[in-house]
Amino acid sequence: MKQDGPALLIAAGGGLAIALLALSPIGGGLGSMLVVLCFWIALAQGGIAVAATCDLVNARWIASVKPRLLALTPLLLLLTILFLLLWPELQHYPWNGMGGRYLNTDFFMGRNLVALLLTYAAALAYVSAALRGTAQRQKAAVIYLFLFVICQSLVAFDWVMSLEYPWYSSMFGIYFFIESLYAGLAVAGLLFWWRLRTADREQGQVREHFRDLATLIFGFSILWGGLFFAQYVVIWYGNLPEETGFIVRRTSSSTYLQMAWLFLGCNFLIPFLGLLSARVKNSPALVGAISLVILVGLLIERLLYILPVLAISPLTALAQFSLLGLAFVVALRHRSATGDRAEEL
Amino acid sequence: MDQLAAREKLEQDVLKGLRRPGKWYLLGLAFCTLLFVNALVLWGYQASQGLGVAGIMHPVGWGVYIANFVFWVGIAHSGTLISAVLYLFRARFRTSFNRTAEAMTIFALMVAGMFPLIHLGRVEIFYYLLPYPNQRNLWPNFRSPLVWDVFAITTYLIVSLVFFYVGTLPDLAIVRRRMTGVRARIYSFFSLGWTGSLGQWKQYSRLYLLLAAFATPLVASVHSIVSWDFAVSILPGWHTTIFAPYFVAGAIFSGTAMVIILMVPLRRTLQLQPYISIDHFEAIAKILLFTSLIISYAYLVEYGLAFYGHNQVEMELFRYRALGHYSVLFWLMIICNSLVPLTLFIKRLRRNLAYLFVVALLVNLGMWIERFILIVTSLARDFDPYAWGTYTPSWVEIGITFGSFGLFFMLILLFVKTVPVLSMSELKERL
Repeated sequence: MKQDGPALLIAAGGGLAIALLALSPIGGGLGSMLVVLCFWIALAQGGIAVAATCDLVNARWIASVKPRLLALTPLLLLLTILFLLLWPELQHYPWNGMGGRYLNTDFFMGRNLVALLLTYAAALAYVSAALRGTAQRQKAAVIYLFLFVICQSLVAFDWVMSLEYPWYSSMFGIYFFIESLYAGLAVAGLLFWWRLRTADREQGQVREHFRDLATLIFGFSILWGGLFFAQYVVIWYGNLPEETGFIVRRTSSSTYLQMAWLFLGCNFLIPFLGLLSARVKNSPALVGAISLVILVGLLIERLLYILPVLAISPLTALAQFSLLGLAFVVALRHRSATGDRAEEL
Repeated sequence: MDQLAAREKLEQDVLKGLRRPGKWYLLGLAFCTLLFVNALVLWGYQASQGLGVAGIMHPVGWGVYIANFVFWVGIAHSGTLISAVLYLFRARFRTSFNRTAEAMTIFALMVAGMFPLIHLGRVEIFYYLLPYPNQRNLWPNFRSPLVWDVFAITTYLIVSLVFFYVGTLPDLAIVRRRMTGVRARIYSFFSLGWTGSLGQWKQYSRLYLLLAAFATPLVASVHSIVSWDFAVSILPGWHTTIFAPYFVAGAIFSGTAMVIILMVPLRRTLQLQPYISIDHFEAIAKILLFTSLIISYAYLVEYGLAFYGHNQVEMELFRYRALGHYSVLFWLMIICNSLVPLTLFIKRLRRNLAYLFVVALLVNLGMWIERFILIVTSLARDFDPYAWGTYTPSWVEIGITFGSFGLFFMLILLFVKTVPVLSMSELKERL
């Protein structure tokens, strides 16, 4: 992992800036930090999870972008450190002070921190095995995916769902880790677009891989739509006030309603309708654009979960978001600079 | 020349299964038929005496019949899914299982379709449920998920039948070529004039891909709808958003186990070892393990969230499931569905067919129990303690349940002697 050093350094710098921003008097508090963390953790963990899943099922399409997806690993450590910034802000959660056995500040921080650190450690082990191409990589991939599911479930149930305590939806965990995989595929879509834009060799094989990815994104748009509808229909049909409140709060006022339609469009309608066409599936630029739309949809969705409950300082959130985005790009670009090792993987 | 010889050998090996049946086959068929006939007699008895001969009564209005319905629909849903998904993902081991899995889907749907009728009691007036103008002014309630079920399952049956039939066309033409007399004429009729020309293959490949792509989301949607039979109600233990993916995973889990149950003995008796390798079984064992993990995750989430929300009714229901009247069944379910499949993490066990067969049997036992626990406990312990009760299946219900297994295996045995159990045309591509 020697080549991760500079990327780690830059990411740490970005993280420090975010931390200073969060702790400063103009800091946006829990809301801004939570939105930023929820979004970037889905991308970073999801990107590695996509690579791990492909390793498990011996999928060949991943070869063209795998090194860059694996380069997201240092971000997991950065996000873990940034998670600690939530600690002083946990009093904003409605369960705070209720003395619950599961929902209390110490246990909340403890279990999430352990899950984040373990996921990072598993990612390191997996990336190391994958880069060396050893037989151990499949075992490491299983362990990473196991922890990824736990971690994303905690993001869903603890970070986001418990903001609306005592409301709950048992679908939230599955929904979040599938969404994270979807985000990982979207990142891969952007990477393919970048690669096919600049690569001057092996275009044919990379293009073949790219078509498989486009089909997978199409499949995931259906899966996402199915999960979204399956959660919605049960709450709508049951029509219990303690359950519908979550949706009513997010669809009854003007801005939230538009946001709700927007993320539905970005995460399902646009990718589904767009990728029905074989021509679009063959165009790296269009698939790249759809991937970007998916990521925008994910961000809007995370905002919509948090905004009705917590205040967000737009400028702080934007600055934090941009700094993490910069760290994300630096990590990806750094791996690119080490050379394309797709063949070795 | 070698390839020609290999193709000839492949055809001979696979078509061995269509030869005159042996003693053990006939004994098995007789036993299954006996179970089925017994169920028909019991159903007749129930029709003449009334639904009172079944154990279902207030508060448990849905008992073993509905558990059987959900179980068989679950089995049905994985057959096409396994075949279609593996085709879309270009998994080569698919050819070892797809034909039997697709047939399993159709037979399991036929078995499942019987249970709502059995559960009706007065089956002779089932046509009241059909949506047509009538003097009784009876109309189905289209807002009921039970009606969604009818449409979803019927669509699924049609698509599965077409998917299965289209897939068999090239093989039926091979059988036609190798048969004589009446049998040749029958296979000739069903092979729809297949000649294997380039044009036919082109159309065939396009249609098969389209059907696979259509069947995959259809399967997920259909079993989601089955899950909504329960989830859209507001009963504790039923009304939970995770049900759709949980049911879909459960269906793949039990169906994969059933494929293993069918293929292990078929491979041995039809001597298909050269075509169905241990690697193929290992691959399907991994699917079993994966779906088991999803099921276990769903159990954990359901239980965890029942206590997370501090909803008294939900907490009592989940306490009752684990410690109440049906606790033995509950823990058996956990052992069969969550613990035993974990042993498949060990490569040596994944590759041991006898062990895999036993695990698959236990998984299906566990999945049947899961349906029973899910349906019965929620009805037995709903909101009002004065309305609580228990349920024990009657001998009529037990007999009909065994009869459903008899019918399923009878159909499978007949299938084995009628259609090649492996897709010869796809296997030839691998030669």
